[in-house]
Amino acid sequence: MDKEEAPRRMTRFSASTSTSNILHATKGNNLETLTTNELLVGGDSISLDDIIANFPARSSQILEIARLLGPLNSPLLPLFMYGGASTGKTSIILQLFRHLNRPIVYSSCRTCYNQRILFESVLNQLLLHRKNVANCYTNAKRCERPSDFVNFLREALTSVINNLKEKSNKLVSGNKIHGGMGNIIYLVFDNFHLVRDWDKSSTILPLLFNLYDMLKMPEVGLIFISGTSPDTFYSNMGYVEPIPIYFPDYTEGDIRQILLRNQANQKLYSSFLDVALRPFCRITRQVGELSNALKPLFEKYCEPLSDKGKGVIPTEDMKRRLFNHIKPHIASSLNDVFKVSSPASSKVKVGKETKHKGSPKRSERFEEIGDLDFHMSTSAKYLLISSFLASRNPATLDASLFDSKGGSDNRKRKRKASEKVLEKKEILEEELLMKGPGTFPLERLIAIFQCIVSVAEEPYDEEEPNSNELGAECSNGSLISDVLLQLSTLCNANFIFKGKSCPIEGSTRYRSTISENLALKQVARSLKFPLSKYLYRN
Amino acid sequence: MAPATKTNGDNSHIVEALNLLRSRICDTGFIFKDSPDGNYSKLKFMISSSVAEACNNSILLLGPRGSGKLAVLDLVLQDLLIQYPDSISVVRLSGLLHCDDISAFKEIARQLCMEHQLLFSKAASFDDNSQFMVAVLKECGLAHKSVIFILDEFDLFAQGKQRLLYSLLDAMQSVSSQAVVVGISCRLDADQLLEKRVRSRFSHRKLLFLPPSIEDSQRLLVHMLTLPIDSSLPSDYAVQFNKKVQNIIEDKKFKEIFTNYLNFDSSVKHLLRFLFYAVSHMDMQTGFLSRENFETAYSSIQRQPKLECLRNCSILELYILVCMKKLEVKEKSLCNFNAVMKEYKNIHDSFQTSDYYARNVCLRAFEHLIHRELICFTDNRGHSLSVEFRPVKLLISSAELYQGLKAYHSCPAILQKLIERDG
Repeated sequence: MDKEEAPRRMTRFSASTSTSNILHATKGNNLETLTTNELLVGGDSISLDDIIANFPARSSQILEIARLLGPLNSPLLPLFMYGGASTGKTSIILQLFRHLNRPIVYSSCRTCYNQRILFESVLNQLLLHRKNVANCYTNAKRCERPSDFVNFLREALTSVINNLKEKSNKLVSGNKIHGGMGNIIYLVFDNFHLVRDWDKSSTILPLLFNLYDMLKMPEVGLIFISGTSPDTFYSNMGYVEPIPIYFPDYTEGDIRQILLRNQANQKLYSSFLDVALRPFCRITRQVGELSNALKPLFEKYCEPLSDKGKGVIPTEDMKRRLFNHIKPHIASSLNDVFKVSSPASSKVKVGKETKHKGSPKRSERFEEIGDLDFHMSTSAKYLLISSFLASRNPATLDASLFDSKGGSDNRKRKRKASEKVLEKKEILEEELLMKGPGTFPLERLIAIFQCIVSVAEEPYDEEEPNSNELGAECSNGSLISDVLLQLSTLCNANFIFKGKSCPIEGSTRYRSTISENLALKQVARSLKFPLSKYLYRN
Repeated sequence: MAPATKTNGDNSHIVEALNLLRSRICDTGFIFKDSPDGNYSKLKFMISSSVAEACNNSILLLGPRGSGKLAVLDLVLQDLLIQYPDSISVVRLSGLLHCDDISAFKEIARQLCMEHQLLFSKAASFDDNSQFMVAVLKECGLAHKSVIFILDEFDLFAQGKQRLLYSLLDAMQSVSSQAVVVGISCRLDADQLLEKRVRSRFSHRKLLFLPPSIEDSQRLLVHMLTLPIDSSLPSDYAVQFNKKVQNIIEDKKFKEIFTNYLNFDSSVKHLLRFLFYAVSHMDMQTGFLSRENFETAYSSIQRQPKLECLRNCSILELYILVCMKKLEVKEKSLCNFNAVMKEYKNIHDSFQTSDYYARNVCLRAFEHLIHRELICFTDNRGHSLSVEFRPVKLLISSAELYQGLKAYHSCPAILQKLIERDG
């Protein structure tokens, strides 16, 4: 599952670079023909007006960058493009270079996820080196230290620039002014905000920001593309800030314009957007998310029409009718905005992952939850439930909850709870809300697991003391080892978090990461296990 | 159309002028060549006298970032290399690249090998390299050749054990060697960072680089923007261009923008950014700069990122921010998504707002805020907890939030009221 998911999440970033890579792959199969042309973005030439038409509401940014890049062969101070997700930063810069037909070295800090890979990727491109079978997929240079990088970079840049200069000299002597590539090479660093999370970010950030001053080559242009504004790049080292270019999020009007593109029936869709766009814009203004959320709603909107609304020109009367048809759906779908089963929207449904674990895992989780019944063994499900219980219930209540006699006592006591106890309960609840699920040692998990398994196996004689059962289970050694195996699987799948060993107790502690919803609805229901009976809070 | 595509026809001289201006801005040598600063002559005197008298010296160039320390040094070295072509060799190190001793000595050995046409061995050990350096210094001294070490970001070399500084300065103590160490740093207390053994070997010469005054900046502006009349550019165009520039500079409104801009940071680099932006926005039809160019440059460079971020937020995200602000005012020690949701529900219960969404929708909006860096997690460790439970904090002040909400044109009135009430 994870293999299928990973590339899908990557496509957006690889797509932007792959346009050039695929092109090179087709035209330059033999290594002999590699020239500086490889550094062009490739594709048919495109006019600036086309680019502006392709990116609605971005004309001012496009013109600004074009102006800052300037005419052929004019040097450039470092640029810093920033703006939220899906505002067109990467596509615009790549399209602009396609239009300008100038050499560019593009590396994304998402795919080049540490400094060595970033260095080597830049050098590979500059040295026109491509990994293939013949060179055993090695890099052109092995380069780990920043000092080596700057030396290699200077070397590579000088040779490329000399190449370019020779070429443009030839062009000039051939009386051709147009079609020249110029002799400036542009280094583009995409997703630059991710560098802050790298191991050595405190040295690599000032290095890259100061690269222009360090190289002292007017023939190099640096362009940084970041998701966050320049003020989020604090550093005690300091540097002179690059020139900022801001990409604001699209406004409601812009989003409308973008969503209307590529629609078969513009008029119908526009009347649909009149109704639906505003409430959705109150929740999110990211184009990708909105188009995902609006898609099923539009299908619903078209339902009363014959042939799915193709070729229909909506009249006022029809609009009113469709509006009444769609109205009840809007409110309910607002709360499902991110529930639509598309890979991008899966984050929220689970929302259990921490930020740093990366997105591909999240979507993998989502698929799993849907198909949970089919993918999990019964013992794994029990283990999941016991870990959930161990995380939610205070350890002191285990005895009373799982020992059947004690349990009944407890329930009786709870019923006539005094005010003090109620207050205590509230505080506890609050704490649970704030602190999240608790941790527990392995022994407790196994004990709870055995209790609930024994109860589930003989659901009709709950009165019988558990001790016999427990003994029987424990004597069965294979069960324990199986359970441990299952546990490690669950840990790897991130359903249970395995912490570092506790400094005081010395044993490893675990924590369940599944939500109550998941535990109750999916797992417990499939086992017909009365989970709520064992939850302390209830 | 882009300026780049209009290279043909009658406006080629405009493109040429633009290229000239842009290359001037990117060339640090041009900027500091005629600067009235006395640092150039002082530095030149210091270095040339120690080269001529064959003695050792060490100098610190201190000053804020972008005040032209390295540029002036480069100019001095350029002159000296012409003056004494055979008796100077330069070794350049940067604290950003070579702050650990191993790579520093390796780089020194590499550059000395390059300089003296020796074969550099990549496999040489730390000891080999440091012995090699001492030996080369001795040889150079015997040949009456000075080695000038330039240590950029000098303060970074002072981290750790300062072995490099010690061995460098210690080697200079011997009579036979002949070397100059020039440290460049933006920390004015850079010499205080040195260990005692290093400090005692350091001759305490310091040159202070200050950002230019407004008058000097203005002079620099004229120097940068004046086109040469006796060049390939049509002279009537150049004359007219210079006249326009002069008009702009004397304009009262321009002066206001200019001083406002320099009030933030008056270093030369900062000024250059401003110039670069304005020059790139030159009108390619007429080929002249206008005051508007400088005005757009001012507004595009001076940004308020947090307010911009607020403008990008959806209404739901604003609700979450206001909830967090309310929690902050209540002085809750810990704030996480669950607490925010509780507050959000409270607001909904008491005011019956129309914007009440399900928990998962809010969680997504919450994550958007984290991506926008309007809020962030207070701890970096809590990987074991899920997003809902990790404590977060606001990265925006209440004044900014208030201002942002006021500027947001479709902001619900209830949010503004809530913020106003909490002050």
